[in-house]
Amino acid sequence: MDTLLQSLVSGTLTGTLYAMIAVGLTVVFGVMRIINMAHGEMVMLGMFGAYWAHEAGIDPFVSLLLWMPAMFAFGMAVQRFLLARVIPSGELNTLLYTAGLSLLIANLALFFWNGDYRTISLDYGMTPARPFGISVSIPLAIAFGLAIALTSALYLFLARTDTGRAVRATAQNPDSAALMGVNVARIDMITFGLGTALAGAAGVLLAPSLYLYPTVGEILIVKCFVIAVLGGLGSIPGAIAGGVLRGVVESLGAVYVSVAYKDAIGFVLFLGVLLLRPAGLFGVGRTS
Amino acid sequence: MNNSAIGAAVARKGVFDSRLMGAAGALVLLLAPLAAPNPFFHHLLIMVLFSTLLGVAWNLLGGYAGQVSFGHAAFLGVGAYATMLLHLKLGWSPWLGLAAGGALATLIAVPIGLLCFRLRGPYFSLATLAVAEIVRLVALNWESLTAGPQGLLITQLPELTLFGHAVDWESKLPFYYIAALLALLAMGANHFIAQSRLGAYLLAVREDMDSAEAAGIDTVRTRVVALALSAALVGLAGGFYGLYFRYVDPDAVFSVALSVEMVFIAVVGGIATTGGPIVGAIFLVTISEVFRERFQSGHLIFYGLFMMLIVRYLPEGIWGKLRALLRLAVGR
Repeated sequence: MDTLLQSLVSGTLTGTLYAMIAVGLTVVFGVMRIINMAHGEMVMLGMFGAYWAHEAGIDPFVSLLLWMPAMFAFGMAVQRFLLARVIPSGELNTLLYTAGLSLLIANLALFFWNGDYRTISLDYGMTPARPFGISVSIPLAIAFGLAIALTSALYLFLARTDTGRAVRATAQNPDSAALMGVNVARIDMITFGLGTALAGAAGVLLAPSLYLYPTVGEILIVKCFVIAVLGGLGSIPGAIAGGVLRGVVESLGAVYVSVAYKDAIGFVLFLGVLLLRPAGLFGVGRTS
Repeated sequence: MNNSAIGAAVARKGVFDSRLMGAAGALVLLLAPLAAPNPFFHHLLIMVLFSTLLGVAWNLLGGYAGQVSFGHAAFLGVGAYATMLLHLKLGWSPWLGLAAGGALATLIAVPIGLLCFRLRGPYFSLATLAVAEIVRLVALNWESLTAGPQGLLITQLPELTLFGHAVDWESKLPFYYIAALLALLAMGANHFIAQSRLGAYLLAVREDMDSAEAAGIDTVRTRVVALALSAALVGLAGGFYGLYFRYVDPDAVFSVALSVEMVFIAVVGGIATTGGPIVGAIFLVTISEVFRERFQSGHLIFYGLFMMLIVRYLPEGIWGKLRALLRLAVGR
């Protein structure tokens, strides 16, 4: 029973962070209809941001204040100067273009920072907290809290502000939104900036709990695609549910099936959903 | 009537041109290793031909049918492991194993296709990524069969006598001619398919799936056939990989990077062209050899950069652009 509870808790914690990455992907897809293959590299940049901040004596979680705006600006620049020119030439070209971007960023990072596995060791990360006899890593718990706060902030931004309304309008129909006076080019920049900032923030939050190395994005991105598709691409609640589900399935699988196959279980789950509900668990995603 | 006569003449000339090019290509391939009798040069030629084979195979599905797969390494790995295992465990001749590798890759492509082609466009691409990861994880963890991360090693290839001569497996030449044969086979198949009814179906599927379906094309079947053909060629390439390097491990043959290389070859050379993958392969092998010795994986920076530049400025690829210029110069 304890094992079950333990794996449910740790699965939910990691799952929430996966969800945060997937939400960034899904928002960008919802508005711009592009699948950003370089999203994992944005997470990686966030992780390294936290690492360098830690090396400079700043707590990784505090460095969020610096890296979120920085990643937001970086995302806007990528959209403005790179993607905006390619998107009109079609979905598949954009997919290939972002795959190229992903290779470029990951391998530049490998070149400058080398491929060593790095870790961030925090004083308060040494011993886990034990509420109700369940072991909970403190940095992971902080990351969980911040991930919920940031994702909710994004949700409120989209639901309550004028800009957020414009973003949702663009997601529904860019042409009509433009006719209503929405500056679609600006909305695209803001959306891509937000997606990138969310990915970067997730990277910062994950950094104390994972090994970090320049090609870590490759593994994370595959997982998060799966999550976003599970929940139905374009749906934020779907991405969150998909993330938590994936985290829990993985951690239950590691305990009850096999550690070696815990990642494979997630993919099999994914294929199962594709087979039965191609539009995602909540049926809101688009298959064409 | 006049028009159709001209059309027939053009079509005849087209066939003549491609036959001429095929023959010239075969002659160049036959003589190329004599240009410099040095093993490193031969190794580079082999890598170019191997990459061409991969590019052509990916292009059948990704270029003609517009179904971008990021998971083709799965077929390469299956082909490589099948060839190696049939030889090591059952003592099959490697050459029979090579064919079996291609056949097995085709066989697993069918259920994968039926599953993944429920999805369209980018969704399909993501599904292939996931399928390839599953296959890689299985290869990594099914240790009783695959020896897991240790990989499989063939210490010595069995003797083979051809036209009364024993084939010298320590030399690179036999591998060169096998690779040349496979690459020619792939390009021939590609050329044939592009001009066949199936080729027309593939283009229809790429341009507009709904219209293709409305016109009576069974789009799922068409895509599955394209995937199976593509997988067969990649499976053969995988078997060749195993025999040439005499060593496979999951990271070498199942990696996402390898899938991306196949995409790169086709995209840089020219989507949906027969000759494009050769150009892409020469490009890829040159970049990787130039940078591999200076800094590890530095070549991947340039793969990424070139992929972005090509998609942005030259979406028809290097060969596609050259061909268009050439046609313009000749005045068709």
